[in-house]
Amino acid sequence: MASRYDRAITVFSPDGHLFQVEYAQEAVKKGSTAVGIRGTNIVVLGVEKKSVAKLQDERTVRKICALDDHVCMAFAGLTADARVVINRARVECQSHKLTVEDPVTVEYITRFIATLKQKYTQSNGRRPFGISALIVGFDDDGIPRLYQTDPSGTYHAWKANAIGRSAKTVREFLEKNYTEDAIASDNEAIKLAIKALLEVVQSGGKNIELAIRRRNQPLKMFSAKEVELYVTEIEKEKEEAEKKKSKKSV
Amino acid sequence: MAATFFGEVVKAPCRAGTEDEEEEEEEEGRRETPEDREVRQQLARKREVRLLRRQTKTSLEVSLLEKYPCSKFIIAIGNNAVAFLSSFVMNSGVWEEVGCAKLWNEWCRTADTTHLSSTEAFCGFYHLKSNPSVFLCQCSCYVAEDQQYQWLEKVFGSCPRKNMQITILTCRHVTDYKTLESTGSLPSPFLKALKTQNFKDPACCPLLEQPNIVHDLPAAVLSYCQVWKIPAILYLCYTDVMKLDLITVEAFKPILSTRSLKGLVKNIPQSTEILKKLMTTNEIQSNIYT
Repeated sequence: MASRYDRAITVFSPDGHLFQVEYAQEAVKKGSTAVGIRGTNIVVLGVEKKSVAKLQDERTVRKICALDDHVCMAFAGLTADARVVINRARVECQSHKLTVEDPVTVEYITRFIATLKQKYTQSNGRRPFGISALIVGFDDDGIPRLYQTDPSGTYHAWKANAIGRSAKTVREFLEKNYTEDAIASDNEAIKLAIKALLEVVQSGGKNIELAIRRRNQPLKMFSAKEVELYVTEIEKEKEEAEKKKSKKSV
Repeated sequence: MAATFFGEVVKAPCRAGTEDEEEEEEEEGRRETPEDREVRQQLARKREVRLLRRQTKTSLEVSLLEKYPCSKFIIAIGNNAVAFLSSFVMNSGVWEEVGCAKLWNEWCRTADTTHLSSTEAFCGFYHLKSNPSVFLCQCSCYVAEDQQYQWLEKVFGSCPRKNMQITILTCRHVTDYKTLESTGSLPSPFLKALKTQNFKDPACCPLLEQPNIVHDLPAAVLSYCQVWKIPAILYLCYTDVMKLDLITVEAFKPILSTRSLKGLVKNIPQSTEILKKLMTTNEIQSNIYT
């Protein structure tokens, strides 16, 4: 059993746990779901829109943010921590551009964010950042990238991943459905992201926000109507598949 | 009369008794004017505890347990105890509301004494449809000291039956737990029990050690049961999170194996899911997590 003091600050417990970091990962699970998919010529970020209070301005509750013209990220967890991390990352992107006259690579900025997070797990008097981030973009070489960071400061490249509440369910869906066919075209990749979110989002398309980036094109945020169009298409396909199934069984 | 450090003369209360002249003065001041009486009566009416029938919303003429026979009464006081009973007991059977208690005091968030919203603090009474002598009370409102006796009278009556068993569940902050150790080293949340002399069954957790001090409505109910020789047990969960919290609610789980709750709980995994949902619905309104 953990003795009390190593739960309050980030030092090792006798059995090698960093409890504060593990608790920070629990804080991530309190944020709504975000999913990232790396296609052949496209990267997709889909998030579950958080229900906003009536009098709140919806534009100020954003889960998908651009870090630079060619990199953007979605996060899950503590809103305030995310704001701080995003600000630092944005400054770093510009600083890098001014210093070496090249935009950051997706891996560079991911490593920067991960290093920042790791620092806070090793400083006295500080607590870890309670966010996980999905960072997507295209490098100069034209290859699409998707990275995920977590509160411990680790980062990995992924083909598709999910973070936040019900991330496990979404990840299992992606493991089953992420095939070469599924990401063959841009449209299919977008539909895969929406289908993954529909597994866990209540009340369907109107609670989904989507952003995509195609090679050599700026970030595009989908409007609610565009998301609805895709959702309708997905539902139609589902119906047709079920009809075919029932015909076969007959 | 006494002089303070600063030289002012103040009238100090004297336990030895007052002199005659002073008595007359005091009596004049003490004599109640009709306005005083009116104000006092208004205040008493405002703070009255009313027990209402569910359908008709009229007051019950007799106390609740005089009207309905009762063999088992489980009382949850406080939001964590209420959440525990809601998820584990109320979802495992069909419970019918028989009445609710309406009361107002300074802790209520509204100044309106007549239309207390049921979504805020409330006190509801239910019985099991399949066994109407099993009662349950969910009390999430604060019952002030002067209202506790009224509450007991309206619920138990002035001459209660002795052949019933009372189980009370409530939470307190861990700093209320009297111990030589520092509260930081206590494994909160943890459960302690306090029972009346007539309660013979074993408790599912250690008894509350001396000085075993209990506060508010749970203390009032336990004292009442001790005086009237009714078997009653209080399960007190000491926690460091006073708002609705999953770990605190789960600390009540050992009670599920006691005789008090046996037979009332059917599907524990499903209840745990319902509890988790209850927690998340409460969190949606917060902007802390996105």
